[in-house]
Amino acid sequence: MSHSPLHISCQDVVELVTDYVEQALPAEEAAVFEQHLNFCDGCVWYVDQVRKTIDVVGELRTEDVPVETKVKLLTAFRDWRRE
Amino acid sequence: MNAYKFLRPDGSGVFTGFRWPLPGRVPGAWVRADLDPCHSGIHACAPQHLPLWIGHALYEVELDGEVVDDAMKLVASRGRLLRRIEGWDEQAYADYTRMCADRAHELARGRGLQNWDAVIEPSVPEGGALLGFVAARIAEEVDGETGYHRERAGQTEWLRDRLQLSS
Amino acid sequence: MKRYSPCEGTVNCATIAASDAALLERLRAGDEAAFEQLVESYYGMMLSVAQSYVKTRAVAEEVLQDAWLGVIQGLNRFQGRSSLKTWIISIVINIAKTRGAREARTVPFTALAPAGEEAAVEPERFRGAGDAFPGHWWAYPSNWNERPDEVILGRETLQAVTEAIEQLPEAQRVVIAMRDVAGCSPEEVCETLELSEGNQRVLLHRARSRVRASLERHLDVA
Repeated sequence: MSHSPLHISCQDVVELVTDYVEQALPAEEAAVFEQHLNFCDGCVWYVDQVRKTIDVVGELRTEDVPVETKVKLLTAFRDWRRE
Repeated sequence: MNAYKFLRPDGSGVFTGFRWPLPGRVPGAWVRADLDPCHSGIHACAPQHLPLWIGHALYEVELDGEVVDDAMKLVASRGRLLRRIEGWDEQAYADYTRMCADRAHELARGRGLQNWDAVIEPSVPEGGALLGFVAARIAEEVDGETGYHRERAGQTEWLRDRLQLSS
Repeated sequence: MKRYSPCEGTVNCATIAASDAALLERLRAGDEAAFEQLVESYYGMMLSVAQSYVKTRAVAEEVLQDAWLGVIQGLNRFQGRSSLKTWIISIVINIAKTRGAREARTVPFTALAPAGEEAAVEPERFRGAGDAFPGHWWAYPSNWNERPDEVILGRETLQAVTEAIEQLPEAQRVVIAMRDVAGCSPEEVCETLELSEGNQRVLLHRARSRVRASLERHLDVA
């Protein structure tokens, strides 16, 4: 197991943030990361900005299938079944 | 075993947002977490961990099952809040912050670290968690890792005395 | 469609695999309701993936038409070695790539710069090695919780994010489209794009960091 540092800097936080939100940091590193967040409002806001970015990007997804497309695809499916 | 835990003023977990069942005349309900030192588990502080996790509301917790000490915190499979440590109030928080700021000045001025000395007062409004780090970080600048740990130990002693912590 | 959340990864995988088999059986039997369900579950996700390869929504929809024909014709050949979802995405990617090449999507010059050491945030925003507190912010980023949702999720913000994603190098664009637009799990991205977990995360990190930076420029001016 690698030796975790006593602390990390804000500049480290912005590079580790994805591993943190993806829960890919080893336990000791996650503890050092959270210990930094515990005293640094700037990094709390940065991590929050990243989470909000993920939410905003998620808004780009379209759920609706255009009706004409659905009809066309169903026809194709029907044709395939008849083959 | 008994330990301590900082929560947000509303009683939720600082990082998880988890709503802890708060104690009243009787302890709060037990909370279970599958013991996985990697990710989940009930996190709590032995006294020496307290300065690392300074927050606004402090509780005494009872931990049960396997308890792992991973250097920065305790991780347990089960825990419940026993009581709020009433002594940790706004005043104690402010006094702790001031104590850390004064120590930081002493360390920085003792070694003529003027640029470090200059960051102390502007950090005070951000509170005790930051000032505790600032003091330990300056001690590290002066004496390396030993200095950092010594300063954290001093902070632990201050909290232990002020809050009359038994364990 | 359910968004991926890291806490429930393994549980999801198991249930998806079981529901895949049942759905596939119905599809092979020519069940139209099952097909409609398939279209509704995957169309939006497929569109996000296709759009990360081609220039316009119209072309992406053409890609999807071809991809669906590929799916229909492949139903009897599908062996279940991957999940139905990753199989479908692979078909979209194959078709989109061919189309994307034909469309000669222009890649901005900056995107071609070697990405080896790119910083998530400009180094000038942090105290330097000679200062007290090296690596600490000179000025904190702003607190977006103080912005109303109408601004954060407003039309102009979505436009800014769309443009930011378009500017990304292809590999980053595809990974962020799959993860954060389409809601795929890291495992699904790794499987479809044949990436290691680590590389998937590096690409995702660069993509999210750049999109966050664009969003910050947009919101902090607004």
